[in-house]
Amino acid sequence: MNNYIYLRPATLEEALELLERHGADAVPVAGGTDVFVKAKRRKVAPKVIVSLRRLGDLRYIRAEEGRVLVGGLTTLRDLEQSGIVADRLPALADATRNMASVQIRNVATMSGNIANAAPSADTAPPLLVSGAEVRLISKRGERTVPMVDFYAGSGKTVLERGELIREFVIPVGRSPYSQAYWKHSRRKAMDLAMVSVAVHLELEDDMETCRLIRIAHGVAAPTPIRTPEAEAQLVGKKIDAETLKDLGETSCGETLCRDSLRGQAWYRQEIIKVMVRRMALLALERARAKTGQR
Amino acid sequence: MKEILNFTVNGDPVSVAVEPNRMLLDVLREQLELTGAKEGCGMGECGACTVIVNGRNVNSCIMPALEAEGAEIVTVEGLLGEDGRLSTLQQAFIDKGGVQCGFCTPGMVLSAKALLDENPNPTEDEVRRGLAGNICRCTGYTQIVDAVLTAAKKGQEG
Amino acid sequence: MRELDYVGKPLPKTDAREKVTGRAVYMNELKKPGMLYGKIKYSDQVHARIVHIDTSAAERLPGVKAVLTGENVPEVRIGFMKDNTPLKKGKVRQYRDEVAAVAAIDPDIAAEAIELIKVEYEPLPAVFDPIEAMREGAPLVHETDPKGAPLTSNKLKLPWKLVCGDVDQGRSEAKHVVEDQFKVTWVSHCCLGVSGCLAEFDLDNNLTMHSITQIPFLAQNDFNAALAAMGLKGKNTRIINTVIGGGFGSKLDTHVYEFIAILLAFKTKRPVKMMFNREEEFLAQAPRQPAIVDIAQGCDEEGRLTFRDIKMVLDNGAYTSWGATTPSVMMVPISSLYRVPNVRYKATCVYTNNVYSQAMRGYGNPQATFAIESMTDMLAEAAGIDPLDFRLINSNRPGEITPQRFKITTCGLRDCLESVADKLDWRYKKKYKQKSRGVGLGSLIHVGGGARVYKSDGHGIIMKIDDFGKVTVITGAVEIGQGSETVLAQVTAEILGVPPEDVSIVKGDTSICPWDVGSHASRQAFVSGNAAIGAGNKLKSQIFELAGPMLETDPADLDMKDRLVFVKSAPEKNMPLEKVLRKAHFSSQGKVLAAEHFYDPPNEMLDREFKGNLSCSYAYGTTGVEVEVDEETGQVEILRYIAAHDVGRALNPMLLKGQIYGAAVMGTGYALTEQLVLKNGRIVNGNFLDYKILTALDKVPVEPIIVEPDDEAGPYGAKGVGEPGCVPSAPAIANAIYDAVGVRIKDLPITPEKVLRAIKEKRGEM
Repeated sequence: MNNYIYLRPATLEEALELLERHGADAVPVAGGTDVFVKAKRRKVAPKVIVSLRRLGDLRYIRAEEGRVLVGGLTTLRDLEQSGIVADRLPALADATRNMASVQIRNVATMSGNIANAAPSADTAPPLLVSGAEVRLISKRGERTVPMVDFYAGSGKTVLERGELIREFVIPVGRSPYSQAYWKHSRRKAMDLAMVSVAVHLELEDDMETCRLIRIAHGVAAPTPIRTPEAEAQLVGKKIDAETLKDLGETSCGETLCRDSLRGQAWYRQEIIKVMVRRMALLALERARAKTGQR
Repeated sequence: MKEILNFTVNGDPVSVAVEPNRMLLDVLREQLELTGAKEGCGMGECGACTVIVNGRNVNSCIMPALEAEGAEIVTVEGLLGEDGRLSTLQQAFIDKGGVQCGFCTPGMVLSAKALLDENPNPTEDEVRRGLAGNICRCTGYTQIVDAVLTAAKKGQEG
Repeated sequence: MRELDYVGKPLPKTDAREKVTGRAVYMNELKKPGMLYGKIKYSDQVHARIVHIDTSAAERLPGVKAVLTGENVPEVRIGFMKDNTPLKKGKVRQYRDEVAAVAAIDPDIAAEAIELIKVEYEPLPAVFDPIEAMREGAPLVHETDPKGAPLTSNKLKLPWKLVCGDVDQGRSEAKHVVEDQFKVTWVSHCCLGVSGCLAEFDLDNNLTMHSITQIPFLAQNDFNAALAAMGLKGKNTRIINTVIGGGFGSKLDTHVYEFIAILLAFKTKRPVKMMFNREEEFLAQAPRQPAIVDIAQGCDEEGRLTFRDIKMVLDNGAYTSWGATTPSVMMVPISSLYRVPNVRYKATCVYTNNVYSQAMRGYGNPQATFAIESMTDMLAEAAGIDPLDFRLINSNRPGEITPQRFKITTCGLRDCLESVADKLDWRYKKKYKQKSRGVGLGSLIHVGGGARVYKSDGHGIIMKIDDFGKVTVITGAVEIGQGSETVLAQVTAEILGVPPEDVSIVKGDTSICPWDVGSHASRQAFVSGNAAIGAGNKLKSQIFELAGPMLETDPADLDMKDRLVFVKSAPEKNMPLEKVLRKAHFSSQGKVLAAEHFYDPPNEMLDREFKGNLSCSYAYGTTGVEVEVDEETGQVEILRYIAAHDVGRALNPMLLKGQIYGAAVMGTGYALTEQLVLKNGRIVNGNFLDYKILTALDKVPVEPIIVEPDDEAGPYGAKGVGEPGCVPSAPAIANAIYDAVGVRIKDLPITPEKVLRAIKEKRGEM
């Protein structure tokens, strides 16, 4: 691995300052579970690392009316163990629980998972279906980008030089609602998604008609994506075997699955068809169970 | 250029000069001669390098050493009691057959410790989740899981 | 069976304390004053002429002490067929080919130096499919044999052919015949401890090799041959083992990196350590032998097997290690799993530009058994007989002599089958089948009492006892995690009547320890146990000679137990062992209380027709699994996994179960998730993320059943068990999947894609 300058700012302001000063040479790093692996494999050769680990102020999960705020330095383990996330963002809870290992989740952050722009990022589909927004900050100011606009193509995001993820603003669904996430992988742990499916479902008061649904996939296109046609198709319909089957088919039709070492396109498509149906059903069951509790 | 790094390991304060690109595992093994932590893959994919940093188990092979500044670190060498006695958990690994070639063992024990410190009475599934980041090629995990559950039970009994 | 004091007890491993405290010293920890770090430059071409290697920049790098290439080292021929050299000269034949090596004062400098070496290649056409490689006009991987004689084919001149009875006659007698093709691929040992060694020469040019080998004495032989080739004829190698981070067959050969370390150490006159990282381990540690298996099998009206006919093509890769000899062990199940009178087997090993293979747990047996036991179910179905009944009809029995002339002594196969079926509720599950669920069986035979694959199958032990009754056992056995050392202490304690904590084991040094052929063939507990009994009896005789006069008794009427020497006919007449022992030293003309014993089991070397009693006992086992298949995703969940093993007698039930659990999970990985993926000769998944070893969360709910027929050849009745557990996993799982959803997957691993595709094809959806 190459050597580099390693900077550890204590405040956000300091971090932004350092990023600005070192420009193209600077690589902001949170947990580092991706960057240092890539550096060790000589796939990247960072010159200046700006470590964000001391920015403890950015590590929080806060429930507000109608939304959850997650600080940019919040770890995956924080999310996994959060009662707020379990209660209001079940897809994100499903996702974080099955990522990598405890060791990785103890240091890796959601920001890092998203900023890497890997199509397999487990937290991306849950954020997409929740309609999350990403608050970015740099020396030049702040801006807010909806998750659907965050990816700018294969391996690319809208993050500009010197810009950090300050916070995720994640709306909570209108009850009755729930969510579910499925990561399809060969192993139950220590694995990347071969393909993934997140569903956010809101119901009418009859508890069987779809008021709103959002569906997102990982590894089904160059970036994590939503499938709007499928979403539109179910709205106002009763959720049953027939409509769910159609939902999976349509959602699958909106993807661009490819063959890769980790999986074949046809198989990814099959899983999407099946898992969109199953996750929608699981979200339905969860929504009903939750309403039943209240 | 080397930087001075201060932290405590197994209760002892240490001060070492490190290159910025060194990982915590390198410092523990090469500079502090705490060789219980192993490098099995160097990429955070096997858990042999697991140590506990501020109460949490992490892969020391991909943790920059400089991030240990001010941290409290526990390695397998720190599990021995002052009288040289093994911890309940270590003894359970021995008694239940949780050790074969032993290369994964220190990391496995530390992941188990982090788990039990947080959740003293885990289910089998919780143990398996807690250890999923520690690859073992010898044991098939059964006797390791048994060891952790046994240690938990002993811990509950005091 | 007689209840024993220490044998049969679940004693913890003798080395568990040092491992669980992090004190064990593996190769990773080993350092020597003045030590240099070796590093290898691998080929980035799969088949090419080496036009030029420019090492000048590497040589100029400060801290570099030696740069070697095939051009500036003496020719050392290595490998089973001597078709390999440490550093390649003239051409490269696979991606992992070693083209240059450096020794430097630190690992970073060594790595930098490797980057500075520039190699110019002229690419050659390559061949990756063994079938294509056999065709006329295929690119030749080797143009000459090791002696320089021209070669015209990629087929290796190896004689793998076994004919027993008359297969054509057997076929004509068959009422039902099934034929099919099965494929098994490369999988990697994935020892958690990566490979490495430390080579150092003394001032007389004798070599000390700090090593993780499973075969110290054969390695000594190989390294001495290398020394001779280096102009150091008559010089000796001393092998010293560190603690070993897993074996599974990967350390059964001497490896290229070890020879390179020797060359570097000789060149620099300094200790040279060569330590792989995980990437190199995947790249340059040879995997399990793949095979293409064509198999036909038939039975008569009653379901009795009449013949088994197997042809195999083995992708040998570019060089030859033990992988090419796996047919010798594949013959064991082919000829002798179940009673089959007529057997024909032929295996062809073919050079390709892929990686070469070596030994791995089971040594060919898991590959062959996958085909045979999948085929057993297919034949049972064709005959309309339940797979369990079919196996019981054909089960081996005690006292039989198999077509390959194996003399079966004890045979627990029937017990294994019945106990697995019972625990699995086989009859009920077959009668009341649940949708998407299925049960499957797979059985195994393996050598259980060593195997004479080398001139000697022997094991030497020196046993001494000190003034305080503490026993030292000096053994040639290699502990690779399996626990043979613990079992050796237990057997020694039993034979001498001292507690196991009084026994310490000295091992891992060819200058101190007596000869042993190696930790392979599941033989270590068997041979070292028997050797310990032999040495223990001799030592006892010496002690009784001393004690006889002291107790005024005929030495023949003495025995030892609980640290006491006592008169058998009058146990109240006794004396502390220590007191007797001190007498040996504190009398004039005293003596050393020590005994040696060399145990070489009565195993026969296979003859030219590959027949003979390879092992003096045979291990059997049956695995039964219940699976649930997700018919929409192809994913297979293992609901139950019952593993019955005929182990003769359990010397240490806890360690024995450890072998069964570990092997079952390794076997399940072989069946479902593991595969070294090669694209045009290049390994593309050489890391723990993409090479899928099962994690703790991928639970395989193994339930061991121990069958103990107490074999008289074994130490206190034991047979070997290290390998058997991973042999029948894949066919048992494949058979259960077939039972669940009616599709048969014939190539490993059985991925969800393959299962789903087969389900869809069956339904006409694909």
